[in-house]
Amino acid sequence: MLDYLPEVVSTVGIAHDHLFVLVYYITAIIFVLVNVLMVYFLIKYRRREGRKAYHFHGSMPVEFTWTLLPTLLFAGLGFYSDDLWADMKYQNRVPKPDIEIDVLGQTFLWHFRYPGADGVLGKKDFKFRTATNLFGMDPSDPYGKDDFITTTHFNLPVNKTVVVHLSSVDVLHSFFLPHFRVKQDAVPGMWINVPFDGLKTGVYELVCAELCGSGHYSMRGVLHMQSQTDFDKWMNEQTKSKTPAPPVAEGAAASTESGTGDPAATMGAGTANSDTSVAQ
Amino acid sequence: MDTVAVKSAHDHDHAHGAAHDHDHGHHKQSFITKYIFSTDHKMIARQFLFTALFFLLIGGAFALFLRWQLGFPGQAIPFISDLLPQSWVDRGWIADGAIQPSLFAQFISMHGTIMIFYVIIPLAVGFFGNFCIPLMIGTDDMAFPKLNMISFWMVPPAGVLLMSSFWLESGASVAGWTSYPPLSVVAGMGQTFWVVSIFMIGFSSILGAINYITTVLNKRAPGMRLFQMPLTVWALFITAVLITLGTPVLASALALVFMDQVFHASIFIPQNLIISNNPFTGGGQPILFQHLFWFYSHPAVYIMILPSMGVVSDVMATFSRKPVYGYKAMIFAIMAIAFLGFVVWGHHMFQSGMSPVLGTTFMLSTIVIAVPSAIKTFNWLGILWKGSIHFTTPMLNALAFVATFVVGGLSGIFMAVAPIDVYIHDTYFIVAHIHYVLFGGSLFGIFAGIYYWYPKMTGRMYNEALGRKHFWWTFVTYNLTFFPMHLLGIGGHLRRTYDPYIYDFLKHFLMMNRFITVFAILLGFSQLLLLVNILWSWKFGKKAPRNPWHANSLEWAAPSPPPHGNFDMQLHVYRGPYEYSLPEMEEDYLPQWIERTDSVRSAEEHAQHSELASDYSDGEPLPHNA
Repeated sequence: MLDYLPEVVSTVGIAHDHLFVLVYYITAIIFVLVNVLMVYFLIKYRRREGRKAYHFHGSMPVEFTWTLLPTLLFAGLGFYSDDLWADMKYQNRVPKPDIEIDVLGQTFLWHFRYPGADGVLGKKDFKFRTATNLFGMDPSDPYGKDDFITTTHFNLPVNKTVVVHLSSVDVLHSFFLPHFRVKQDAVPGMWINVPFDGLKTGVYELVCAELCGSGHYSMRGVLHMQSQTDFDKWMNEQTKSKTPAPPVAEGAAASTESGTGDPAATMGAGTANSDTSVAQ
Repeated sequence: MDTVAVKSAHDHDHAHGAAHDHDHGHHKQSFITKYIFSTDHKMIARQFLFTALFFLLIGGAFALFLRWQLGFPGQAIPFISDLLPQSWVDRGWIADGAIQPSLFAQFISMHGTIMIFYVIIPLAVGFFGNFCIPLMIGTDDMAFPKLNMISFWMVPPAGVLLMSSFWLESGASVAGWTSYPPLSVVAGMGQTFWVVSIFMIGFSSILGAINYITTVLNKRAPGMRLFQMPLTVWALFITAVLITLGTPVLASALALVFMDQVFHASIFIPQNLIISNNPFTGGGQPILFQHLFWFYSHPAVYIMILPSMGVVSDVMATFSRKPVYGYKAMIFAIMAIAFLGFVVWGHHMFQSGMSPVLGTTFMLSTIVIAVPSAIKTFNWLGILWKGSIHFTTPMLNALAFVATFVVGGLSGIFMAVAPIDVYIHDTYFIVAHIHYVLFGGSLFGIFAGIYYWYPKMTGRMYNEALGRKHFWWTFVTYNLTFFPMHLLGIGGHLRRTYDPYIYDFLKHFLMMNRFITVFAILLGFSQLLLLVNILWSWKFGKKAPRNPWHANSLEWAAPSPPPHGNFDMQLHVYRGPYEYSLPEMEEDYLPQWIERTDSVRSAEEHAQHSELASDYSDGEPLPHNA
């Protein structure tokens, strides 16, 4: 059965698979014991002429034993698993990211926002969201100026800590990377941090796991896990060739008017402040 | 074999022949009051039974449509596609005989909705509750017969409303049986029909549950203590408590969704959404709905399985000819499940975006709820131990219940462990789990109960050979259908997906899906054997005696079928329901209503002493105290 698990390519995925195997063997042993015992009883105590059933109402020590043992076993399993759970989801354990991106689900598409050359994602707020500014980027924030957006396809560097900020434009979606054992619902109205890393270059599929309408099945994304150099090259190409997302253009226009829109200045400031910005 | 039951019933016939019909005089009933607007609990039980079986066929058919698409994607459905309504073709739901995504989403939602709200709950609670409770506690009817009638009559209009949404321009519900907003708020008129329909059927449940609680507490036969009730009654009683506590919360959640849909109240709609390129704003929180929904719907899982657990305990005791092992432990386990059932709802929401600290809490509470389930399983094995097992159709179904419940319970451990749930959540692993619990668990228990009480309900024996055939076909095809779904889930196969093969990592599952589909079709058609058996035997079955299984609980004291008012003798309860195979007695059963004559008393005392000598006993106090 375990052979059916897809190839695992993340640190958290490896830990997940260890736990999965542990639970698999615990449950398999219980399953076999219970069923073997049951079949044995069914054969041994089948009705036969001249034998009467044993008139017996039960035994307190026995009940006590088979209450206590599963309690210890299951509670132990729960406490044992909690650490991995905390690693996966606790917001205060989200590691310092090497790269962070915004991911938005929209019926039935995935959008990805990259920080661009300055390495900093521009400020965002849901109040800025319009049909042409899905991420709700703050038009006045210079860091947002070089941010670029991709749809369906996204790239990430291998062996780096990635933090995805996840939300949705319309209904619930779920960000599921099967090979990474990563899943998190995308909830409109809130941003959720999803940390993970990738241990192997390659192309992996992103799945929407939460029913989002009749096209739910087709909400597929593609993750290109690249070496750092390939990824840097890709980032460069995107930043240069990509027409900036419309809201960014508006924002740039607005900030030019107010006299703070010098691209060089923006980039320099971004680089200088990138560490503090990322840590936020 | 002569039976204690019949002998005693005859004795009582002479003594108390006319004593029972106080307010249940044998007045003439018209067709309408007898069969349609009946207040007789047995007739209402039949109404629930047939309504639910009708919906079982519909919900099952929907499942087969879904399976066809997954096993044979994009191919025309043989034989059936021409029979589907032309309006569905006109709206593009069907093209070239194949189901399109929009219809698939409707079937997904309606399959789950129908099976849970219109099949399992009406069967487990409506049918068993109505049929078993008054008979097993030895009374003439429910405490509130008219309320009972209303409880049933909320179901057909709700069902018609639900099904009629398939003829709406925008179609039926597409948001799944869980109906999460924002999708359920923006998905169209069918979703509003869904909400109203489920609201109504929720009230049907609440009305029934109030009745069950009152009846159990107030109308037990003289002498029957609470801890002398059969486990079926205990399970139904606690289920009713769950319903009265949980269902109003569901009703409130549905009312809020309705407000969002119709009045744009934006309780669950957050700020600045873009729906189909149009702004759609509110100030709400979608996750709130999930909390409200699962606060009911997790206990609902136990609402659906506890009655079956009770039925299975009774059936296994009868056909092992043994007392239930750990009767009180079984009751406390049911209570523990019911209590814990209210503090584990968050395990449906590990990925929802709620605080992960809550995830830790819910993981621990969830994993603890496995304990009472384990206790019940061990006690069921205890019933078999040193029994004298009769492999009748009800017993086979009860054993299948235990075997499949073990699988469903163990696969639940995977989900309860939150880090593993991260991966398998919303995959076919969940689908496998829920079907092992609800089909394998609840439905096998329901089958066991239908066969077990069939002679009592109809006055006819069902056809044993046909019953076994139905069991074996169901058991084999059921496992071949649902077990491979665990493998799909481990492979990452999504649930509720129209076409998994657009994903490269799922392409290799086509053959397994096809395998599942073939056995699902066989499983579906196997259920016709049950229908044939029920209908054919009702007319042509062998006449059933009063107590065909030589069982102990009170319903077997009534004639088969019981008349209006149920009992033709004055009942008094002398003992618990599981006094099978007392060593000193010739008969291997001692019904609850048999008087304590000297010989019975000495047999009981002997049994008690020999048991006390061998081990601790959880039995009755010594007879001379009574």
